[in-house]
Amino acid sequence: MRKSKTFSGGYRFINFEGQPKDTLEEVRVPLRVTIPLRQGFGAEGSCLVKAGEGVLAGQIIGHSEYGVSSPVHSSINGVVEEVKRVNYFKRDCLMVSIKGDGNPRYQKLPGAINNWESLATEEIEKIVYLSGVTALDREGIPTRMRSSIILPKEAKSLIVHGVGSEPYNVSPELLLKGKNILNLIEGIKILRKIMPNARVFLALSSHSRKILEEIEKLTSAYDWLEIYPLEPKYPQGYDEMLVPTILKQKFPYGYSAANVGAVILNLQAVLLSYEAVVEGKPLIERTIALCGPAFKEPSHIKARIGTPLREVVEGRVKEGLSARFVLNGLLTGFELKDLNLPIDKTYSQIIGLVESRERKFLSFLNPGLKSDSYSNTFMAKFSPRIQKTCDTNKHGEERPCISCNYCEEVCPVGIIPHLLVKYIQCNILDETLMNLRVFNCIECGLCSYVCPSKIPLAKQIREGQEKLTIQGCDRNQCILPYFDNFKGIEEYRGPKEL
Amino acid sequence: MKFLRQRLDSLRNFSQKNKLLAFLKPVINAADEIYFGTDKVTTLPHILDSMDIKRYMSLVIVALVPVALGAVYLWGMRVLAVIAVSYIFGGMVEVIFAASRKKEIHEGFLVTGLLFPLILPPTIPLWMAAVGVIFGTMFGKEIFGGTGRNIFNPAIVGRIFLSVAFPSAMTTSWLMPFNQGVGGFLKFSADALTQATPLTTFRNEHLITDFGNLLLGGSSGCIGETFRLGVIIGGIFLIFAKISNWRLPLSALLSVVICSGIGNFFAPDKFAPALFQIFSGGLLLGAFFMLTDPVTGPFTRAGKWICGILFGFLVVLIRGLSGYVEGVMFSLLLINVFSPFIDRLVLGVKYPKIKK
Repeated sequence: MRKSKTFSGGYRFINFEGQPKDTLEEVRVPLRVTIPLRQGFGAEGSCLVKAGEGVLAGQIIGHSEYGVSSPVHSSINGVVEEVKRVNYFKRDCLMVSIKGDGNPRYQKLPGAINNWESLATEEIEKIVYLSGVTALDREGIPTRMRSSIILPKEAKSLIVHGVGSEPYNVSPELLLKGKNILNLIEGIKILRKIMPNARVFLALSSHSRKILEEIEKLTSAYDWLEIYPLEPKYPQGYDEMLVPTILKQKFPYGYSAANVGAVILNLQAVLLSYEAVVEGKPLIERTIALCGPAFKEPSHIKARIGTPLREVVEGRVKEGLSARFVLNGLLTGFELKDLNLPIDKTYSQIIGLVESRERKFLSFLNPGLKSDSYSNTFMAKFSPRIQKTCDTNKHGEERPCISCNYCEEVCPVGIIPHLLVKYIQCNILDETLMNLRVFNCIECGLCSYVCPSKIPLAKQIREGQEKLTIQGCDRNQCILPYFDNFKGIEEYRGPKEL
Repeated sequence: MKFLRQRLDSLRNFSQKNKLLAFLKPVINAADEIYFGTDKVTTLPHILDSMDIKRYMSLVIVALVPVALGAVYLWGMRVLAVIAVSYIFGGMVEVIFAASRKKEIHEGFLVTGLLFPLILPPTIPLWMAAVGVIFGTMFGKEIFGGTGRNIFNPAIVGRIFLSVAFPSAMTTSWLMPFNQGVGGFLKFSADALTQATPLTTFRNEHLITDFGNLLLGGSSGCIGETFRLGVIIGGIFLIFAKISNWRLPLSALLSVVICSGIGNFFAPDKFAPALFQIFSGGLLLGAFFMLTDPVTGPFTRAGKWICGILFGFLVVLIRGLSGYVEGVMFSLLLINVFSPFIDRLVLGVKYPKIKK
């Protein structure tokens, strides 16, 4: 086994309470779904159905000819009730509500066969594209149908990762249970056929030893695949960190890995593309981890896309507490305030936190048997097996910065957050800030997490960036001179027309 | 707990009703915040570290407890009186400034209030300690804008003020420490037996004090600097707890060893040997507790190394060649002056101008 690779900075969240169990429960097919026509990156599809029309599960209901996008499917059989615009994650988005009959059957993708190796590359690309899998992750899977900002032949490297560096993650042990480990390898082969010029890297947490060993055994014959055990240190799962640790290449901060020819996919995206090509399954359901102390039994569920959150969460949350639900990441994720909103393709974890407004007596003197901290001042640091509490209390009052340098020590991109914030607070917004690489910030939120003075550093850096941009100092000036042959820069984010 | 809650709430109500007592608000709030944790919740990120400034500062005090206990043993209960004076008068300055700024009281003072008495001679008159702490907190910290904005370590400013204003009280009267039985725990003050500090002895007679005495406090010196074992334990505790950074003390001590080694080789009557330099005077206390002050020290990693090396060099230079026998105090002040400049130089190298 090779030594695990990592980056400088970062912080490992160890053993927070409410880690999801390795069990998978299928949520029953909902009777009503709402499907947003823009899920994740890319352009919003135009709606292909009208109210009152009957749809089948797996039928494409949204599709855009312009811009970078992937088709969106109906996830249940039923009748379209309504098509309307709503505010979805701070952006305006078309939503299709469908009333269903509860039948779990779905329409298979045309052309999918068991023996996928006999298919031509174009056919595979078409199946993957039509399944909607291409919309997953930061920049998706490139195909000839403009599902990503680059073309498949431009992809120089493909990184498949299941590092799990967040406080709560979908368990890779569950995803790769039993036969799925073979499916993953087949899936990687399929993607390799789509992207013939790409070197393939499989990055897994160095703590899932069993899986690593098994995959190494299964793939020892493939010289095109490199397996990287990575230290599960936050934010290793970010594209910004995977590119430098694995490819030893600079990341164009603020742009995407695709711009430098790297396609980065999650384990689930690979498994789903395998299912699409071999089993003909469109992307209509996802495995989601329900974790955190607010859930009775944290575990994984498989839910249809469009299922209202309420249906997923209800009955699984502990009674008699006010919970806060967070999407995907505790440090950066959206708070899910409206439980009527649906699940979409981008969901991988829903974290339930307990709102804790309780004022603890002499809290700064407690030994902290269960408190997590970057510093070594709590007992919990010496007993890694104890589950740590995880709540929304601020654990202290906001104070002026004392330059303790915790933020610089954890910063994964090597900037000095407290210095930047001091400049921004004094309104010194000029080239000094740009020289201090304010635009390198990847907004991982780790500086705000570790700050003992409880200063919202990440937020203020972001505000500083925005103010600088208003003044005409652009991110491009900091990034573009350092990279030649940037790919897909015209297609970057969103459609040209429309 | 409930009783305390009710007391605090009634006090707050009382101060809100009575306009004359409005200035007490920061004090009541500070007491409230000390006894009870916050009820605020996070926005983004959704979770925050359990560490806060109160714990940060109180752990520095915990690290100073062995030193303070050792000081009481060596110099008698009078040490406690000096510490109390320092806390009361320094706290008053802090409260007045907090009230006039209409801001909360910051915890940084807790450390200054304990560190300041530890660097005074044991014979210091109480009024002098009060003057020193008032001057130090006011001109070392508050007029710069309070915690986090000061350029100089307030304790050092106070101490330098005293040694400039009252040189005889600060440099000539030293006590012989208790070293038997329960020591100073039952006596108010050590007997007025003047004895030169180890550094003075070296300067005048070229004698090197026994290392056991230096380590355990059997020699004369300032209140907190002679029990060096406690200083080392406290300093290592802080480094281990990630509260102070290891780079500064390590580079400072290494630099003292190297510089004094060189000096001792060429001019043995001026420069004391390396190990004696480390274990004499206020060097250990200064390196572990004052140099590592995050606010006044450098924050870049390279800057920490540079400042530590410079500090050691200055200490050896002042001890060896100047009219003073001890150079830690002035070196600390100079390092505080230099560190923003050094940080700037380091930043210039670390972050070259972006390409155009």
